[in-house]
Amino acid sequence: MRFVPPGTMMGSLLLAVPIAIFALIAWQTFGAALQGTVTHYLVITVAVLAFSIFTGNSGILSFGHAAFMGLAAHITGILTIPVAQKAVFLPDLPAWLAGFDMGFVGAAVIAIVIVTAVAFLIGVPIARLGGPSAAIATLGLLIIVYGVIVGARDFTRGSQALIGVPKMVDIPIALVFAVLAIVIARYFRDSLPGLELRAAREDEPAARAIGVNAPGRRLLAWTVSGAVAALAGVLLAHYLGVYSPKEFYFQITFAILVMLIVGGMTSVSGAVVGAIAVTVMIELLRNAEDRLNADYFGEPTVFGLTDIGLSLAILAILFWRREGLFGFWEIDELIATWRKKLSGSPAASTFQVRPIDGAGALAVDNVVKAFGGLRAVDGASLALRPGEIVGLIGPNGSGKTTLLGTISGALELTDGKVTLDGDDITELPAHRIARLRVGRTFQNIRLFTHLSVLDNVKVALAASGTRLPPLDMTTRSNALLAELGIGDYTDRRAGTLAYGLQRRLEIARALALEPRYLLLDEPAAGMNETESDELLRILGRLRTSRGLGLLVVDHDLRLIMRLCDRVVVLNKGQVIAEGAPGEVQANPDVIEAYLGKRRAATRTAPAS
Amino acid sequence: MTLRHVLKTTAISAALVSAGLMAGAVKAETLVIGYGGGQTGYLAPYDQPSLKGVQLAIDEINAAGGIGGNIPIELIVKDTRSDTAQAAVVAQELVDDGVDVMIVSCDVDPAVAAGVVAQAAEIPSVSSCASTPTLPAAVGPYMFSNYTADNLQATVLAGYARDQGYENAYVLLSRDTPYTEKLPEYFAEVFANLGGNVVAVGEYTMGQQDFSAEVTNIKGLDPQPDVIMTSAYEPDFPAFIKQLRAAGIETPVLGSDGIDSPTTFSLGDVSEGVVFSNAGFPSPGSALEAYEVAYEAKYGEPNDTIFSATGYDVIYVIAAAVEAAGSTDGPAIRDAWDNLENVEVATGTMTYKDQNRVPVRVVALNRVVNGEREHVGDFTPDPSMIPAP
Repeated sequence: MRFVPPGTMMGSLLLAVPIAIFALIAWQTFGAALQGTVTHYLVITVAVLAFSIFTGNSGILSFGHAAFMGLAAHITGILTIPVAQKAVFLPDLPAWLAGFDMGFVGAAVIAIVIVTAVAFLIGVPIARLGGPSAAIATLGLLIIVYGVIVGARDFTRGSQALIGVPKMVDIPIALVFAVLAIVIARYFRDSLPGLELRAAREDEPAARAIGVNAPGRRLLAWTVSGAVAALAGVLLAHYLGVYSPKEFYFQITFAILVMLIVGGMTSVSGAVVGAIAVTVMIELLRNAEDRLNADYFGEPTVFGLTDIGLSLAILAILFWRREGLFGFWEIDELIATWRKKLSGSPAASTFQVRPIDGAGALAVDNVVKAFGGLRAVDGASLALRPGEIVGLIGPNGSGKTTLLGTISGALELTDGKVTLDGDDITELPAHRIARLRVGRTFQNIRLFTHLSVLDNVKVALAASGTRLPPLDMTTRSNALLAELGIGDYTDRRAGTLAYGLQRRLEIARALALEPRYLLLDEPAAGMNETESDELLRILGRLRTSRGLGLLVVDHDLRLIMRLCDRVVVLNKGQVIAEGAPGEVQANPDVIEAYLGKRRAATRTAPAS
Repeated sequence: MTLRHVLKTTAISAALVSAGLMAGAVKAETLVIGYGGGQTGYLAPYDQPSLKGVQLAIDEINAAGGIGGNIPIELIVKDTRSDTAQAAVVAQELVDDGVDVMIVSCDVDPAVAAGVVAQAAEIPSVSSCASTPTLPAAVGPYMFSNYTADNLQATVLAGYARDQGYENAYVLLSRDTPYTEKLPEYFAEVFANLGGNVVAVGEYTMGQQDFSAEVTNIKGLDPQPDVIMTSAYEPDFPAFIKQLRAAGIETPVLGSDGIDSPTTFSLGDVSEGVVFSNAGFPSPGSALEAYEVAYEAKYGEPNDTIFSATGYDVIYVIAAAVEAAGSTDGPAIRDAWDNLENVEVATGTMTYKDQNRVPVRVVALNRVVNGEREHVGDFTPDPSMIPAP
């Protein structure tokens, strides 16, 4: 846990301590019934956190975690039901299982280990899917696992209830595991893999471009959350003492999703507070209903107040706070933001940049990219050396962005090859190319809009394989932001920055990879002349201070001509001219491509 | 807050006044019954009517001065929202409220969860309509069943089938719920014990709609079945029988109380002649007919399900147990309850003695004739024929 920022411990404590104090008071003073409610709340908190670890970080709604709970509950049930009860209720159990029973701890460990392994195997395909199709796959998982549990009749009594599972879980036991789950969820969220996954949640192509292995991170989150769900299932099993497969089906799935919606899908604080809010509301409405029936009607008349109340709560949340009570924030972040308003922003410090070897080149050789019959790039070749700034220009639709995509691995080539210092990198996926220190920005800005400005850079540092203590990660990120002139905005959500600042943040994020080569897709788009001049200055400084090679695509020919050592002109997917800015400007083919044949005869240059 | 305060004050003063009125007499005992059922959620279709029957029976008994004329009944109702964890909490709340007897949900999971809580407090508990015969054994000596158990219905259906001279039976079951799985299995067991031959057992998935595979299978059976038995219900039963009849198979069909719904009677020709079991038939002069009249008088609408009647029954069973025990003490009620014989209830008579807390009671058979219900007869099965749960 060396790479976890300092807020993590504070954030976990801010959630865990109040819950622990309340639970311990409840344990000492509440009656048996209310103790049951508190215990159930703590167990459900573990379940909600399991959903949250995957759904919150990956952005993929999971319907499947109840399946892991059910699986674990049935495994621990079979292991712990006393032999005498097994003989009555599970007569078809194989002899080796029928003849023994074991304690809670051993059974829990076995159940969690098995379910975690199962979660990993199932996660391999689901993690590759991503997006809505992954959500549908989790729904399928829930239905299939339910079917398997019902079908494994000899072990589970089919659709009938497992009976005789020892009721072990009380407030202290549930509390220990609820706190553990909070800590696991919070550490995972703030860990570098968690940060990378949240970046992929915001924008997967952009995350891959800075080196994030999104499917790999999803698989990790899925497996960790599967283990926590298994823990929740074990706890629920030993809290209820009796349950059938339907206990772990749609009803509990939706009950948990309601808590996540109320609290906020994307933060640990949201999951915990959502569970509290829903539980408290159910208790209040339930008591109100009992009072109403007993004191007012005298005879039971009104039912369903809790369901009506919950439905109204969800509607209210969706209407006023679509991201849930906590939105994308954690409780400590909220507090830090409030305090930050009173104090100042942290000072940035400098750090050593990895030196760039001047030798080698990033080269594309006869690259072809066809979309069906359209050859967007048709046999283009160019090379970029460290310390060099190359402009890539061409009319609209000439294939500039597509060429950039093929270099960065975002698009698969139809033909040709891409080499980095002589090594063939044509077949590598985007995140692997990024880790070879090839960075890029996007034509339409692709920031991780709901992450802080700081995290946008930090995740790129992490994904590039930079391993530093958490404080140094922050220092280095701050330095990069300062270098780009946006050091004052570190705690802002990236999506709230002004347009020009977002462009700069995108470059800062790309620089976190310490790229030897940086591909910039229309960095000056939408900038006014002053902003574009400022950008020119920054880019020029990057070349001199770091010695990296820049490939700049832009329509702003003023910028290109002033910035670039060499300009490559693309038309209809082919390189039609290459040379110093002045030469290219005078090239008749270029003029023709830009202005058309007839007008080219009357003009000598496209622009200046 | 103010309204509730006023109400509370009123309630307290009312209590004080009645206490004052009774001051001269010997302080009367009250039987407090707690009802923790699923008044909302998936159990509402069963627990809601059940509660109505319970309330009606309590009104009747209290109007007559209480059980045995001197023990009035007080009812505390709490909604479990059909949630198993909530059922256990609610049961604990009822125990804390000091109930003497507890009525629990119609489904096994919440019934067991609540039952163990009552068991620990030595309070007798009963599910008014859970039909799984293993329920009382799963909890312990303080848990009772009330409703016609699955194995009871199956025994009556199998006996009827053999009496009709059916030799070969086809059984259709679904492993999706204990009811759709076990009831046909019990039927097959008794049918075979009575010398019949179960030709084949078909399986379906609840909600599958398309039964062509099962129908084709039945058509190809050798020997052809004389009778088809299933405990499928809506929407599976209508789909199955429509496709069965459409394929030209006219074999008689036996069903269970799951199809005791208006849909079955509105299917027209396809459901004509279907015989199904349930907990009672309101034949003229029967107690059930009288119950239906009383129900309509109280609620202003006709009763539309047998589950209200079995809810009504359960109160009279409890009353009989309390009267026999001569006390509202939990262990005393339990012991008396376990020895009850031939208690007269709305749906017939009930016997708990020597039945391991799963009552033997009348099972009615009904036939669908011209979209109406025709009474085939009331049957009390021979306990020795009832298969072990």
